[in-house]
Amino acid sequence: MGGRARLAALWLLWCCATIAPAAPAPQVLTLDSGSVTTTVNGQTRTAPLRLPYHWDHEQAAQPGSARFDLPFTLASRPDEPWAVFIPRVGNVFDLRVNGALLRVHGDMERGNGADYAKAPRSLIIPAQLLQPGENLIEIRVRADTGRRAGLSAVIVGPSDQVLRQYSRAYATRFTGSVLLVGFSVVVGAIALALWLTQLDARAAGGRTREGLYLWAALAEFCWALRVADGAIISPPLSWVPWGMLMTACYSGWAASAMLFCHHVAGWHRSAYMPWMRGAMALMFTGSVTCCWLSLTRADPRWLTGWLALELVGAGAYVVFFAVATVRRPNLARVLVGSAALLTVAVAFRDWLTIRLSDSHGETTWVRYTSVFFGIALLAIVIRRFRTASTQANELLGTLAARVADRERELATTYARLAEAGREQARTHERARILRDMHDGVGSHISAAIHQLQSGQASQAGLLRTLRDSLDQLKLSIDSIHLPAGDVGALLAALRYRLAPRLADSGVALEWAVEECPPVARLDAPAMRQLQFLLFETISNVLQHAGASVLRIEAGMHDGVQRLRAIDNGCGFDATRAPRALQQRAHAIGARLTLESRPGRTVVQLQFD
Amino acid sequence: MLVAMPPLDAMDLAVPRPWGVWVVEDDSHARAFFETSVRRSAQLRWLGGAGTVREALDWLRGDGVAPDVVLVDLGLPDGSGLEVIAAAVARYPQCEPLVISVFGDEDSVLASIEAGALGYIHKDAAPEDIAQTILEMKAGASPISPMIARRVLARYRLLQTASRPELAAPTAAVPPLSAGPAEKADAGRSLLSGREQEVLTLIARGFSYAEIARLQGLSVHTVQTHIKHLYGKLSVHSKNEAVFEAMRLGLLRHPGSD
Repeated sequence: MGGRARLAALWLLWCCATIAPAAPAPQVLTLDSGSVTTTVNGQTRTAPLRLPYHWDHEQAAQPGSARFDLPFTLASRPDEPWAVFIPRVGNVFDLRVNGALLRVHGDMERGNGADYAKAPRSLIIPAQLLQPGENLIEIRVRADTGRRAGLSAVIVGPSDQVLRQYSRAYATRFTGSVLLVGFSVVVGAIALALWLTQLDARAAGGRTREGLYLWAALAEFCWALRVADGAIISPPLSWVPWGMLMTACYSGWAASAMLFCHHVAGWHRSAYMPWMRGAMALMFTGSVTCCWLSLTRADPRWLTGWLALELVGAGAYVVFFAVATVRRPNLARVLVGSAALLTVAVAFRDWLTIRLSDSHGETTWVRYTSVFFGIALLAIVIRRFRTASTQANELLGTLAARVADRERELATTYARLAEAGREQARTHERARILRDMHDGVGSHISAAIHQLQSGQASQAGLLRTLRDSLDQLKLSIDSIHLPAGDVGALLAALRYRLAPRLADSGVALEWAVEECPPVARLDAPAMRQLQFLLFETISNVLQHAGASVLRIEAGMHDGVQRLRAIDNGCGFDATRAPRALQQRAHAIGARLTLESRPGRTVVQLQFD
Repeated sequence: MLVAMPPLDAMDLAVPRPWGVWVVEDDSHARAFFETSVRRSAQLRWLGGAGTVREALDWLRGDGVAPDVVLVDLGLPDGSGLEVIAAAVARYPQCEPLVISVFGDEDSVLASIEAGALGYIHKDAAPEDIAQTILEMKAGASPISPMIARRVLARYRLLQTASRPELAAPTAAVPPLSAGPAEKADAGRSLLSGREQEVLTLIARGFSYAEIARLQGLSVHTVQTHIKHLYGKLSVHSKNEAVFEAMRLGLLRHPGSD
């Protein structure tokens, strides 16, 4: 039993320990009531306060200043430092706790300068400043027209808890904005580089730049500047021109994004494109004008109204785009259409929240949805490059196949040409042999037969005919190896072949053959003609001239190759040149000149 | 060259022994023509003839009189006369083969020279010219035509260029007579001597031996001697050329490459 009693006592102790209340943790306080003293146009009023305090709504966008008194009660002085977190306060402000000035942000005496309302604010309250019982936080602000001035609910409490909330809000509004700016700048730079380097091959002439990339780049740069404004406390311009610039960026982004959609859909080639451009220009200039009116006349309804119109127009366009995408979907249209629908919905929410509602600590969401446009653009670019790469590969494959086909055709043609060339060479060779046999051996053998048949032929005459025949045959064989145009080789071979006959005839030969360059026009058939011509010339001298000396000359004279056969025989009528000689000279393009008198006959050939 | 000296005749020492001539020719009329031509010359002696390669080889294997001059037709019914020339030179190194050629064309004459022939004789020559050609050859002359001279020059140029790449510049088949000292020095190192090259060049241009002798300041006999040396070189270098080509093609290893 003693054991049971001990167990029961332990259980009781545990229960007591569990149920016993802990020391009360300090509570985070949300201060949203107190009093406000405003000074607008020289008139000061004090009124009860309920935060958030949206200045433009409360004071009809008139510039002025205010002091917010926010009392709160503490049971005891806290042991640790406290902190204040204000989601939105400005445009410039200072803050006091129990009369002690803790923070001043901006010049309270001059408006339209810095804007500290863009980022959440926090500060530490030393514990000794707080006191048990009533405490007071006093915030003075100076408000500019149309700049979302005012004060949101103020969070005060232990510093660790309050600063945690502040960090979350700061990350959402400030750090997030900086990251978005970086993303937009990178995407814009890529789009601009593509616009500068890529040409639209489908356009007439194939040298037009892609408008798609230009509008994407403009949209991203406009958006980058617009979002960057969230991190710019002290703009380089005063508020009115800076506010107009920011509005221009917003509308420029919207117009560029819609033109980007237009290009994605392929509508930029339609006849209505100038109307679209005009509408976008109107939207842009209208918003800037309304912004100017709003700020200078201290009446935000101008801009609010215009933005509503813009929103309706953009919404109608996006719906139209979405319907067209449903009808003819493709990846680019679906991506861009989805981003546009989401953006319009979010923009509508922002318009309601920022322009109409009294909420003051809220921020725009549309800044995040713009990322989807960037992602859609990158997806389009990647898809285009993949398509282009595939097409290039296919083109290369096709080209390689065509080249291979053409090479095969060329090889076939070359083979046919080579065969035709060989056949032509064989034909020429056959023709040459037939011509040689006909002109040389054939005619000599025929002559020999006639001589024998006539019964009047002398043995010497018959022998001469047959020797002529054999000599012709030898010359014909020599001509096979004669280099084309080499007249020197031809003369040397001719002399060698005719040497026995020259010796038999008793005619002395003078050989005055100089080294001469080849005659280009003398191809193989022409060399054979020249050989015949010289053979006949020398045969005539040996048989008919009765000469004692035959001189063969060859050389260059005045740049012209000249051949001469000179004998001291009886001569002949030079006006009646043997027809065969003339024909052969004409055939090889040589100029034949005859000069004859008793004692000197010159047969001259010149290759002009 | 070893030449079979005629035996001393005790009765008449001044009269040399006639040169023994042996003919291989399938055409009986031609063979008879050569026989007649040889028998008409007191300085020549007819040893006999053969009509086929087989007959010729059988004759060479016999113990007959060693021929001084062998006339061989290339186109024999059972083979090439080149085979007979090679066998004759092998059996009787002192004999001097002459090719019987109808046309004296370059291809057949060069092939014969490379097989060991020392000249060629035209089939249509006059009987007295046949004997004269044989006697001239025995006296130291060898015939050569301008066409053959050109071919020989071209081939030696090619060989010279191939073995010395720095001389690879294109050259004419017939070099100019006015060769400079450097070119002559090159020629001196080549397979042909400078003088032989000059003589060949003039022959290729159609000049006779007498004209060459006059132009070069030589005797006709010296010119003929150059040509005969050339024949010997052609025969030897035809074998060297084959070896060179085989080396160039990688079929043989160079002796110094190990």
